[in-house]
Amino acid sequence: MKLKDLTSPFYVWQRAFEKPYTQSKPTLNREGAHAYRGFHINDIEKCVGCGTCEEICMNNAIDMVEIAAKDSKKGDSGLVPRFDYGRCCWCALCVDICTTGSLRMSNEYTWAADDPDSFRFTPGVDETSWQDSEHGYRRHPEYDLLKLVRPEMEMLSPDEGLKSFDEVVAGYTHEQAVVEADRCIECEICVATCPANMDIPGYIRAVREENFEEGLRLLYDTNPFSATCGRICTHRCEDDCTISTFGKPLAIRWLKRYIVDQVPAERFAEILNDEITENGHHVSIVGAGPGGMSAAYYLRKKGYGVTVYEAGASGGGMLRYGVPSYRLPDDQLDKDIDYIVSLGVEVKYNTKIGHDIEFQQLMDKSDAIFIATGMDQPSSMRIKGEDHPRVLSGLTVLNDVASHKDPGVGKNVAVIGGGNVAMDAARVCRRLGADVTVLYRRRIVDMPADKDEIKEALEENCNFVLQAIPVLIEDAESSDQVTIQWGEAEMIAEDGKRPRPVLQEDRMHTDTYDSIISAIGQSGDFSFLPQEISDQLKQHWGKFEVDQRQRTAVGKIFIGGDIANDVADAISAIADGKNAAIGIDAFVSS
Amino acid sequence: MGYAGLQLVNTMFMQELCERMTRQFDCDQVMHQKDDLSFLRVDRDRLESALMYLKTHEGFVHLSFVTVIDYIEDGFFRLNYMLYNYDKATNIGVQVDITRENPSMHSIHHLWAQGWTYQRELKEMYGIDFPGSPRVDEEFVLEGWDGIPPMLREFDTAKFCEDRFAKRDGRESQDIKQTMRDNLYPERGES
Repeated sequence: MKLKDLTSPFYVWQRAFEKPYTQSKPTLNREGAHAYRGFHINDIEKCVGCGTCEEICMNNAIDMVEIAAKDSKKGDSGLVPRFDYGRCCWCALCVDICTTGSLRMSNEYTWAADDPDSFRFTPGVDETSWQDSEHGYRRHPEYDLLKLVRPEMEMLSPDEGLKSFDEVVAGYTHEQAVVEADRCIECEICVATCPANMDIPGYIRAVREENFEEGLRLLYDTNPFSATCGRICTHRCEDDCTISTFGKPLAIRWLKRYIVDQVPAERFAEILNDEITENGHHVSIVGAGPGGMSAAYYLRKKGYGVTVYEAGASGGGMLRYGVPSYRLPDDQLDKDIDYIVSLGVEVKYNTKIGHDIEFQQLMDKSDAIFIATGMDQPSSMRIKGEDHPRVLSGLTVLNDVASHKDPGVGKNVAVIGGGNVAMDAARVCRRLGADVTVLYRRRIVDMPADKDEIKEALEENCNFVLQAIPVLIEDAESSDQVTIQWGEAEMIAEDGKRPRPVLQEDRMHTDTYDSIISAIGQSGDFSFLPQEISDQLKQHWGKFEVDQRQRTAVGKIFIGGDIANDVADAISAIADGKNAAIGIDAFVSS
Repeated sequence: MGYAGLQLVNTMFMQELCERMTRQFDCDQVMHQKDDLSFLRVDRDRLESALMYLKTHEGFVHLSFVTVIDYIEDGFFRLNYMLYNYDKATNIGVQVDITRENPSMHSIHHLWAQGWTYQRELKEMYGIDFPGSPRVDEEFVLEGWDGIPPMLREFDTAKFCEDRFAKRDGRESQDIKQTMRDNLYPERGES
């Protein structure tokens, strides 16, 4: 035995009096690394309840649940993710895919409890110590699971566009359409925003799977004007596309167009297979615009005999007379209307109710009536001199051009207004070779026109004069011209209300034009309604009051489209038409 | 030497090293991720000699780990051998791409004894073979596993969880579209 063997235990023992190298248990407050994937945090103000976190979770650890603090609204389901930490593996895919960036992680990682159910929790709602944590895993800013970039749409250059009335937007190529469709995460948030509640994720999936027959069927479930809407829809759905938080929203409108463009009109009947069993009832529809013709389509499918009365020489209403062909070519509108008519819908053109046939006659012979006459009466500017012969209405100019007549606007034109009719009138005048000045009383952001229309009008060199209020219209020196006096306006907000333009009388201008086109709004003409019926129908701000199924106070009468809804766009009219068909069917069957 | 000075020395060392490696081993990709972290990509058959050189001539004596990324769309695996140089306090990652059809790679257990452990794990999790690596076919952490290797991208984790684990009582998820319909447009849009 060596001496060392005897003494070494004492060396060891002396260590007993030194500070230990190990740490005592339990270890308290050891903070996780700053980018640690710890417990979840959700900013429920930002969360729109798209459920993408639930969808991507490989462990089925997430449920979407309703909470008291949040209601559903357009663009937000009101649901929030609830986690089951019995299943979560903290892979952070939910954080990486979160469309709004509301979901992230703290660096907190210790949680002890006796009750296993307490590990199911709703971040941002259930109180946790880590909700306000500064640290924890974040998505890397350059790393996106979502595809944020939209394929660029080929369009005629503004110079080329101005040379003709040819369609400006080329439409997607096959490759572009499939790439674009692949960006959709099918969260379904957009469905509630679409006035017609179209199955948008469904038809985008059909594009992705290149199944255009299925795509067409899905479109026609809710919208028989898909060739049209694929071009000129106001696409409110895209405003609420969850991809738009970080990227460009899905080009929902262009994808719809792509489906319809792939299917030749001759194949519609075979694909849609709309079998009709006559039910012996008859419905009269006033107006062959998108609202009236949609109602006709869905009523016909239910077996109703349908007669549509149209004052104009062809169908489509404002789509034909108000939307120029560079946005919506006539043949595309015809494609939609022809299919509806092919199902046996009778359309009486050049037939004005109250003139060619009395409204009471329709009341007598129909089981129900749907009125969707639209707003085709230009609103007055309410200024002196507006009845000057060189003052034209925007609708008249568009109507003339649609009917291949020369509206005679001259070479130097002022357009008054900031809505789609104003933009269309301005762009039409540019195509007719005129210099165009647009006078609008508010700012560009206040313009009710579609953003695309405003942008394209600017690109086509329409000169915008903003915050300009017309005051007086007078004879010019030449009888072929007209003079307008207008004043600059200041936007003034009073007690938190929307800013209002206020005329600055010290800053007045006088300009002379070949013509002035007034496009400040429209209203409906209801003079065809007999007084006793008119008295029973309630109106509010120039619109008829109807319920969710377009019912009115008069049992037989249903009303929809621009004269009933506040949105006054094609897709809302189409939705009204379909819902009127449901309402009429319920009314007639009862 | 201050931190900034050390950083500069590191950067220069790493840059020069990568140039030498590129010359000798024909690395087709060099990426300087941070001051003390660079990546090189070499051919499958040059890996051993590249690692040997880094270990014996450049001071990268420590094998930190071996990982793999599954590029299923492009049909290959990217192996990552992470080495550490204690003297320079720098890391280098040597990457090798191998095809998914033939998921097999030379073993490196003769260079670093712990290499066989990583290789056994990769065999189990991704099905990548390392012929000659000790105990490479033995179970690593999965006991009685009979499915496809679970870290492969084609493995359906969600389905596996659905089949294997019961949900806790009381769990219920609401459908987004139906909830919004019920709350926002209950009477509209029916057929």
